[in-house]
Amino acid sequence: MDNTEIITRYLVEEFLPDVDVTELPPDYDLFAGGVVDSLALLKIIDWLGERFHLNLEDIEIAPDNFRTVHAIDSFIGAAGAHLVGKGMS
Amino acid sequence: MYSSNPLVLAVVEHARSLPSEPALSWRGKTVSFAELAEMTRTAASVVAGLPPGPVGIVGEKAPETVALVLGCLAAGRRFLIPAPTLPVPTLSSLYRRAGCVAIVSTSDMGDGANGLATDVVDVRASAGEPPEVEADDVSFMLTTSGSTGTPKIVPLTVAAVERFARWAGAEFDLGPGRRVLNYAPLNFDLCLLEVWATLRCGGCVVLADPEQATNGAALAELVAGQRVHVVQAVPMFYELLLPAVRAPLDSVDRVLVTGDVFRPALLPRLREVFPNARLTNVYGCTETNDSFTQDLRADMDVIPMGAPIPGVRALLVAEDGSVLHGSGVGELLVSTPFQTPGYLDSPDRYVPHPEGADELRYFRSGDLVRRTDTGALVLEGRTDSRVKIRGQQVNTQQVEQVLLDHPAVLEAAALVAPDPVAGKRLHVVVRTDGTANSLVLRRHCVDRLPRAAVPSTLRVATDPLPRTATGKVDRKHLTAT
Repeated sequence: MDNTEIITRYLVEEFLPDVDVTELPPDYDLFAGGVVDSLALLKIIDWLGERFHLNLEDIEIAPDNFRTVHAIDSFIGAAGAHLVGKGMS
Repeated sequence: MYSSNPLVLAVVEHARSLPSEPALSWRGKTVSFAELAEMTRTAASVVAGLPPGPVGIVGEKAPETVALVLGCLAAGRRFLIPAPTLPVPTLSSLYRRAGCVAIVSTSDMGDGANGLATDVVDVRASAGEPPEVEADDVSFMLTTSGSTGTPKIVPLTVAAVERFARWAGAEFDLGPGRRVLNYAPLNFDLCLLEVWATLRCGGCVVLADPEQATNGAALAELVAGQRVHVVQAVPMFYELLLPAVRAPLDSVDRVLVTGDVFRPALLPRLREVFPNARLTNVYGCTETNDSFTQDLRADMDVIPMGAPIPGVRALLVAEDGSVLHGSGVGELLVSTPFQTPGYLDSPDRYVPHPEGADELRYFRSGDLVRRTDTGALVLEGRTDSRVKIRGQQVNTQQVEQVLLDHPAVLEAAALVAPDPVAGKRLHVVVRTDGTANSLVLRRHCVDRLPRAAVPSTLRVATDPLPRTATGKVDRKHLTAT
């Protein structure tokens, strides 16, 4: 299962119980659609930290990074790279 | 035995001049005006034997209950007729608050209720000293829906019921030879038109069996088989009926939609099903009775409230209490010839004209109404449906309406729930036909509503939403689940 699928599965289970995983497009605007509000955003960030072993404390959180499944996926990539970068230094 | 109540006098007069004309049709049987007058006489003698004071009526749908109401009117007794389906504690509290000395059900009337009238003239001859009824006397005591709390008791005077019957009789032609459907339960204010104005004017009431109330095919068969001329009902009736109709209901010449917001999407089908009928939306509430009418066209996207009934005065009042003369949104204040003098045991909601323009008593409807640039009035929701979410004004009824505009949505209820972070959040429950999920509906909302009005949670249900006895969505029950 790739990250896109893991993220989609989590969002659907947590926020869209009546929707099938295949029905949430990776470019769906989660904020505009009211799927994710500020409270949900905090939950997602918590989950991301735990699920992908990211240390998010010193990373700046821009809401745009969580607007779509694609955006979250890129964010994980970037945050992961950041982590790796720190480890190497 | 008979009082000078105009409704009773009219029924007795129909029994004399048109004894074999049908007054009621029930489960395939007909009750003539002569029979109804005789049943009324029996009921009146039962009522007259009770200790003095108001009477409670168990409003089961049956010709005997119709006679019991007429019997109370004949005996000059005010009576409370609540929904028989209310929870027992609510019912007993209502009867107590109304001061009922006895609760009468149709079984108390014995076999005499079904007996045939042998000599109708005797009915009047036996009248003896009829109790004089004053125009200001209360006759009917109805109850509000109780969708937001305990039902309130709404007394109506003899004169107000008579004024309404005369208006409705002339407006919708409810006289001899006409057949009028009664879908609503007998406690419902809609019966003032369907049952009481019809009997007053000499028409025949076709009583729909409550056991078939949700069976669209049976309802269609009743309307077609009984050759009904006038149909009045809440939108739910048409939601059930329209998909079940096979052949156009061509006997019907007047269709009235009332009691709730009708989905404009149903209009083309309504037109198709009733090809010979004038279609009319009626706005009113239990406290004031009918106040506005609007004829419907199949191509309407929005159903305006229309024009006030003759004798009705209406104002829009802005949030600061000033009268809104131009376009804008305000609470509707209405004064009608049919209105209640006030609730029985709660403070009434009447106010004088804010500018002192007349001496009328205006009822604060609690309905938010928009006057457009062209002067049309459009219902926007309830004043208590205005809530603040994240600092922004949100109208829960507007949210419901936007969702109902989606073709897949059959029912929608927007509720305000407490939220630990945001203070309040919007929780919406919708019933769909299965062709749209919450993502699709959210996108639909986003395109049409301000951000704060997009629901935080949107639950898609497959079962019909719970409703109160008078057919409104039961918010208390929905909040609890």
